[in-house]
Amino acid sequence: MVNRRDWLKTATLAALSAGEARLIAAPSKPEAKADSMILLWMAGGMAQTETFDPKRYTPYETGLRSEKVLSTFPSIPTVLDGIQLSKGLEQTAKVLDRGTLLRSHRVGDLGFILHSRHQFHWHTGYEPPQSVAVPHMGSFISRTLGAKNPDIPAFIDIGQNLEIGGESDSLKAFHTAGFLGSEHSPFLITEPNDAVASTRPSEFLGMSRFENRYKFYKDLVDKSALRDNGSSFQKESLARSLENAHRLLTSPAAKAFDLNLEKAEVAAKYGDSKFGRGCLLARRLVEAGARFIEVTTEYIPFRFWDTHENGHTRAEGMKATIDGPVSQLIRDLEERGLLDRTLVVLATEFGRDMMMEGKPENLVKNQVTVPDVMTEPKHYGMHRHFTEASSVVMFGGGIAKGKVHGETAPERPCRILRDPVTITDLHATIYSLMGIAPDTAYEVERRPVYATKDGKGKAVAGLMRG
Amino acid sequence: MRTVLLAMSFAVVGLGADFVTEIHPILATRCWSCHSGPTPQAGLDLTTQAGASKVLNVLVARVEGKAGKIMPPVGMPLEPRQIELLKEWVEAGGPWEDVTAKSSDWVAPLEPRAVATPPGEGNPIDRFLGRPAKGVVSDAAFARRAYLDLWGIAPSPEMLERINGNRAALVESLLKDERRYTGHWISWWNDLLRNDIGVVYHGERKSITPWLERALRDNMPYNEMVRELLNPIGGESPEGFLIGVNWRGEVNASQTAFMQASQNTAQVFLGINLKCASCHDSFINKYKLKEAYGLAAMFSKESRLELVRCDNKTGVYQEAEFLWPQLGKIPVDLSASERRYWAAKLFTHEKNGRLARTIVNRYWQKLIGKGLVEPVDDMDAKPSNPDLLDWLANDFAAHGFDLKHLAKMIMTSEAYQYVDALPRRISAEQFSDTLSAVTGEWRFLQSRNSERAMLGRDWEFKSHALGRALGRPIRDQVYTTRDAAATTFQGLELANGSTLAAMLHRGVMRLMGELPPAPENLFDSLMMRSGEKAFEIPVKGLKQVYLLTENVDTYDIAKAEVGWKDLVLVRRGVEKKLEALPVRTPIGSRLVYEVPAGSEKLRGKVWISDASKASDIGTAVRFFAFGSEPDRLRLVKVVGDRPWGPAPLLKSVPETIEYFWRGLLSRAPNEAERSAAMKLFPNRELTREGAEDLLWSLLMHPEFQYIW
Repeated sequence: MVNRRDWLKTATLAALSAGEARLIAAPSKPEAKADSMILLWMAGGMAQTETFDPKRYTPYETGLRSEKVLSTFPSIPTVLDGIQLSKGLEQTAKVLDRGTLLRSHRVGDLGFILHSRHQFHWHTGYEPPQSVAVPHMGSFISRTLGAKNPDIPAFIDIGQNLEIGGESDSLKAFHTAGFLGSEHSPFLITEPNDAVASTRPSEFLGMSRFENRYKFYKDLVDKSALRDNGSSFQKESLARSLENAHRLLTSPAAKAFDLNLEKAEVAAKYGDSKFGRGCLLARRLVEAGARFIEVTTEYIPFRFWDTHENGHTRAEGMKATIDGPVSQLIRDLEERGLLDRTLVVLATEFGRDMMMEGKPENLVKNQVTVPDVMTEPKHYGMHRHFTEASSVVMFGGGIAKGKVHGETAPERPCRILRDPVTITDLHATIYSLMGIAPDTAYEVERRPVYATKDGKGKAVAGLMRG
Repeated sequence: MRTVLLAMSFAVVGLGADFVTEIHPILATRCWSCHSGPTPQAGLDLTTQAGASKVLNVLVARVEGKAGKIMPPVGMPLEPRQIELLKEWVEAGGPWEDVTAKSSDWVAPLEPRAVATPPGEGNPIDRFLGRPAKGVVSDAAFARRAYLDLWGIAPSPEMLERINGNRAALVESLLKDERRYTGHWISWWNDLLRNDIGVVYHGERKSITPWLERALRDNMPYNEMVRELLNPIGGESPEGFLIGVNWRGEVNASQTAFMQASQNTAQVFLGINLKCASCHDSFINKYKLKEAYGLAAMFSKESRLELVRCDNKTGVYQEAEFLWPQLGKIPVDLSASERRYWAAKLFTHEKNGRLARTIVNRYWQKLIGKGLVEPVDDMDAKPSNPDLLDWLANDFAAHGFDLKHLAKMIMTSEAYQYVDALPRRISAEQFSDTLSAVTGEWRFLQSRNSERAMLGRDWEFKSHALGRALGRPIRDQVYTTRDAAATTFQGLELANGSTLAAMLHRGVMRLMGELPPAPENLFDSLMMRSGEKAFEIPVKGLKQVYLLTENVDTYDIAKAEVGWKDLVLVRRGVEKKLEALPVRTPIGSRLVYEVPAGSEKLRGKVWISDASKASDIGTAVRFFAFGSEPDRLRLVKVVGDRPWGPAPLLKSVPETIEYFWRGLLSRAPNEAERSAAMKLFPNRELTREGAEDLLWSLLMHPEFQYIW
């Protein structure tokens, strides 16, 4: 009998040399309720009182005291009795019966608010800086479950340009597979309309020159002396990576990336915005067998959901951007029989308030000057960063239907009244629904790194069906 | 491999649980977070057999929840399979194996250890190793290795022709070129010291590039480098290393700047992992929480630090103390700068043999492909050749910690020259720089606020998609070994990425003489966000002027209102208006004006409307004026030396084939390769497409991608 420890050592070394982080004693897997996931990321801090958790409406007038304002829109009814959303989300209001609205998502305390730092925390489950390079949730899922369709990258990230903007370096820091190895990196699509370009040979090359070049290349390698000498491991892994890339770039599955192939009437329902087109692309990719897709409204400091002024006008615009596409995405998935096995999560890095930064128990330094009395329309809106409560909407794959989980107070400071859900437990819920135990761990530098922090995440029963 | 491992584990259940692979992982991951360390929960230490034996009789009942609070009390309970294994183990009497100790009883020495030089001829290194089975590589292959390892660029065909078999002389001459040597080695040091250019995290972080460049160019002795890194004094010092990587806001106790300094100095200079010991006594090695804090207190503001164990303040304080106090006791209550002085002193203490061993081992790994100690960040592990490691470390120290001497010592050994040496993947920088050298086309570094640009090697640029795909890390953590795996993403970037495609396209144009000459600009406004700027340029003898409006970083290009105005030509003191009204130019466009004969000057202003300053438009533009057709990739004036000589002008297919093979693979093509390559050029005519495809194929060739 081979001494198991020696065998274990060689196994570990081999795995390390192959570049893959070793899975540690896998705990039992929960039954997967979803095979794919779409994360709709409302980057910049989506104001919950202006969207999914409306409070008393106070219309603008010059001389209005800022502290009186909780919502700058009236509410509208939804398909759920007694539950209201903010005006501007009429379409999404009609599909709430397919999912659960979580109003009590409480994120971490990281001190003086920095958006990208909270985004890092939300996307990896760990607060930076970390002593090891922790992976994005999409990479973790890609590594643990693998690709669904081998011709579609397992982890696709739509809508964020990582090369511009004041926090682009810190965004790059979590758009990574980290220690899991770059095989599980996100496949980045900055502009959905151009998605097909990144999955097809560039137009300068054209398909036939592309294929001929590759054929020539393989033939050339065959003719070199390396065929006889030289380690096969190196040659094989290089050959395989180029083979996989070429297969992806010439595969019929890549048609999913081409939005022009979608029926015009259907595509029109998603609108022309980048986010809308991104949702359409996400649906197509789920149909084609992608595993994890993130579609973001994009984070650029002070833009989109990141309202430091003109919050009301901006929120109106953002709701118009997301309302149609979100509801259409749910309907389309349902119509195609995919919603039951696709987990859709709409979330943001924290909510907003007008008066406090941070949370009531843990206020942090003010970043935005809010006048006591509003004198111009640009003062009207939710301009500060509220880590106490944000709203999360979850549909599909194992999520309870037509429910509201958690509640926040009707008056400032809008504390969570019941059922707070942390990032750790929200992630535990997501991972469990995908069939991954929250204490699944990979070995890095001989220590475990878990799916949820310290493996302590607990899936929240109230969010899940049955 | 992984699936096989799990299958094996399951197969052995029923034959008696194996402590090492089945019980220990359960204890380590589910129990030790509470039941370990100096004050374990309920006084129960499950890291030792003595501790575990105390509770063998109730262990199973506890984890089943049948005897009091279920264990573990948070997270998922143990699964049935794990409980079965524990049952078997308990039934067998709880047999124990000490997993933390290595299978050998090796204790890494602290002090330098004298090793006699074995008798014999040639490089002493080889006297410690056996005779190479397959002999050493050819001169050309050696040259390829040496150039890539010292300059980071493959030798050009001319350089290959000049080699004369004197390998030691070649190594010496490569080491003498400070610029080229630095241009390669700085990337390795950047990985090690978490240094990068222009990374902004809105928290404290400072680049050490100016210091590092100087240290490499001047061949600063290694122990001096360590002293300056640990005790940085003055404005040009490398204080960024101790400052670490900080995000704005509050941070966990284990990741404060001084704790990062503790982890990084221990890892980088001593090959010790204190990351685990930053939260609790380590489970994977012998280091304790108080040791991590003792080291941290050498770099903190306060002279004593409160230990925080798993986010809990302990009320226990630790003074600055080195990992080996026998090398020197640091007096208490010293100022921060005095403690750093002690850190510099103790790390480089003559009795700290680990300093030299660690760096020597890293160099061995870089040049040979595998350290004498592996992993290189675990210098407590047993070296595969302790005598060689110690001899080399002593030789390094005896030669004043001269890093170039170390490199030369290794590279002139036969061990470095084996035919069957471990193939090493070329780095992202070696890839880009060699491509630039072969094509003569270098990217240039420009800043928004300078009129000058410089041709730069890859390391000087911020990381981009191609570099990241080829393994250039995000330097938030220390990287001592890059991920050299060939992944699908890498394949996608290489096969279809726009960065490489553009480099190939432009590179081939330059080789075929098809790039227009890039004239220097006559006017460069630098980046402007608002306002106006006046200019005056000489136009004598010019036929046309080209006025360019280039984008720098405008948010909403369509809404930005910018342009040119008050344009007048001056001829013998007489002004003549070119345009009556201000001209609004779309960003990215250009105006071309004919210059009448006799004109001497052109005067004017560039302008940005007030409205364009608004944050929703975010105008950031740069204006240029040229006297002849500009090259849009060369708008800013280029100064300084080229990193490499100019590339030849290729005129025929056979010439191109020879040139690419020699420039990239350091050899001539064989007959089969030659005739295959000819087929890329129908009619035997040199075409851009054919040359691009040939260049691409050779860049992807395993012979190029690895250093053989």
